[in-house]
Amino acid sequence: MAEKIEKWYPGEGKLTTGWAIIYVILVLGFVSACARLFLGLGATTNLSDAYPWGLWVSFDILAGVALAGGGFTMAAAIYIFNLKKFEPLLRPAKLSAFLGYMMFVVGLFFDLGQPWRIWHPLVMWNPHSVLFEVSWCVMLYTTVLSLDLFIIGLERYGKQSWIKFFRDIYLVLVVAGIMLSTLHQSSLGALFLLMPQKMSDLWASGAIGPLFFTSAVIGGMSVVTLESLISARVYKRKQELGILSDLGKGLGLVLLVYFAMKVTDLYARGVTVWVWDKAHFFFFVELFGTVALPALLLCFKEVRQSAKGLYWAAGLAAFGVVLNRFNVSLTSYGGYRQISYFPSFIEIIITLAMVALGIVIFDLGMKYLPIYKSELTVEH
Amino acid sequence: MSKAILIDTTKCIGCRACQVACKSWNDLKGGKATFSETWSNPRYLSSNQFTRIIFREISSPDGQLHWHFISRRCMHCHDPACASACPVGALIKMPEGPVVYDDGKCIGCRYCMMACPFQIPKFQWESAVPLVRKCTFCADRQAINLAPACVTTCPTGTLLFGDRPELLQEAHRRIGAQPGRYYPEVYGEKIAGGTSKLFLTAVSFEELGLTQAGFRTDLGNTPQGLRGREWMSKVPYVALAVGGLAVGLHYMNKRRAEVHAGERQEDENDG
Ligand code: SF4
Ligand code: SF4
Ligand code: SF4
Repeated sequence: MAEKIEKWYPGEGKLTTGWAIIYVILVLGFVSACARLFLGLGATTNLSDAYPWGLWVSFDILAGVALAGGGFTMAAAIYIFNLKKFEPLLRPAKLSAFLGYMMFVVGLFFDLGQPWRIWHPLVMWNPHSVLFEVSWCVMLYTTVLSLDLFIIGLERYGKQSWIKFFRDIYLVLVVAGIMLSTLHQSSLGALFLLMPQKMSDLWASGAIGPLFFTSAVIGGMSVVTLESLISARVYKRKQELGILSDLGKGLGLVLLVYFAMKVTDLYARGVTVWVWDKAHFFFFVELFGTVALPALLLCFKEVRQSAKGLYWAAGLAAFGVVLNRFNVSLTSYGGYRQISYFPSFIEIIITLAMVALGIVIFDLGMKYLPIYKSELTVEH
Repeated sequence: MSKAILIDTTKCIGCRACQVACKSWNDLKGGKATFSETWSNPRYLSSNQFTRIIFREISSPDGQLHWHFISRRCMHCHDPACASACPVGALIKMPEGPVVYDDGKCIGCRYCMMACPFQIPKFQWESAVPLVRKCTFCADRQAINLAPACVTTCPTGTLLFGDRPELLQEAHRRIGAQPGRYYPEVYGEKIAGGTSKLFLTAVSFEELGLTQAGFRTDLGNTPQGLRGREWMSKVPYVALAVGGLAVGLHYMNKRRAEVHAGERQEDENDG
């Protein structure tokens, strides 16, 4: 009897501190979300005419999508470059990508002044607008990811004839996913092409599109690594260190490429780098602490082959991607205004609640979908 | 014919009649006046304040103090960044001059506010159903052949409404006729692709210290929105290239792996 009562929430057998915190955040988040919808943005956020975009754009939208880059990166590695050894990482990547995009959509919903008009770009077109393209690509790609999860769900219920249908068109989904991701990951950076004068030189680059794309690949690869390591510990699976250290090699390589791109770009634009102020502090942390350092770490075999080493390298790289998005959208813009911005309690809580919701959905996915079960794979 | 307003700031006396006229024509609520370090009131443009006079006290080289009164409002750019940015096309430039906003389309993403190089669009933050607000160039009045409310009210002729080419000519005529009175540049003639607001000032905006307050001088003569449009023009090609490459590489790498596996098979058979 007692056991039955304990089962109403989707945690482990008993309510652990971690899950308790998640539920508290979710409840607070729900209340904050209602407040946001009924009282409006001015009353609940610290956004203003001086700071039209804040935490939600930086984290939920820009960083969330970049960290969800694992879906298309892994799909490209496996189906396009035929690196079949990474196959066990594909489904977790798909799941986390789906969560990342859900975060984008929900985050955008709360961020928009008129959330109930979120569908407007579907019928009201402005093909000149980068944001118009981003909204279409994100919408289509979220559909692709949902189909992906749907197929995984079909497997659980053994719908063989359906699975066969999707298997036949799977390449179309993969190519569409890669195409859409390339476009919107880079276009999220291109949003900032319109306002170079308002931004710090450190980030106001004409090459911001390709830079965003490359760092999304980094974000994706490092999240897939972290996800595999953490879920192995939480769900008591064997760690896939062999595959992960191969992935780590790839991550190191992309980090090096990204570092080279950044330095070339700064040099070509003749930016004054060696100055000491707040923007430069964040810039140095970003470039050296979260791009160069993990790239260097991953050069060592010992790092790539130990769980701890991979935790650190991938963790730094993922943090770097988030920091970059904050830098581009807030630090860079900050120097331009005398007014400063720090998110309100409600902004922070809604963001945390979305992360918490992501964890809950991830947990459900791990429990009820064949995510790490390669014997049921869709592939031929 | 594209309309414009010539704003000869040297004629302005800072009476703020335009502010009042704008408020009453557009039915905007009055704000609460507060003390600040400047005479300008209110302190900022807002969704409730489409225009304001900026008061500047500048000492000239001979040590004399001079007042400058600078009218601030939407520039109604020829090629507006806000219109290039808006994902749903809520902001458009009319051939007659005004850049107008469609209440029914806007989703409230605020990209226009980020994109506008003159920091003009403002948001109704206090509302739960917020819209963007800015000077409309009195498009509704122009539609019935009336001059903008602010122009009609101005007692000194600071604001002059008319066809842009003629106003531009007039501006240059004034500079030519009284070179000592004017800074020899018409702000809005070329900046950011040209605007429907043409400013004559006594000194440069750098000297007025307003380059960070909405009168940037480092924008260049190309419209900001062009960069976004250039990007968008490449999108279809990038899509095709990435899609084509992905399909091509998929079959190539698959074939390569098969050949590779076949060779290994043969090696093993040989051995
Ligand atoms: S000044 Fe700003 S809001 Fe006005 S038309 Fe130009 S870009 Fe648009
Ligand atoms: S806030 Fe409204 S008008 Fe401005 S860009 Fe977004 S949808 Fe367009
Ligand atoms: S043109 Fe009309 S809306 Fe614009 S400042 Fe003048 S009165 Fe106000």
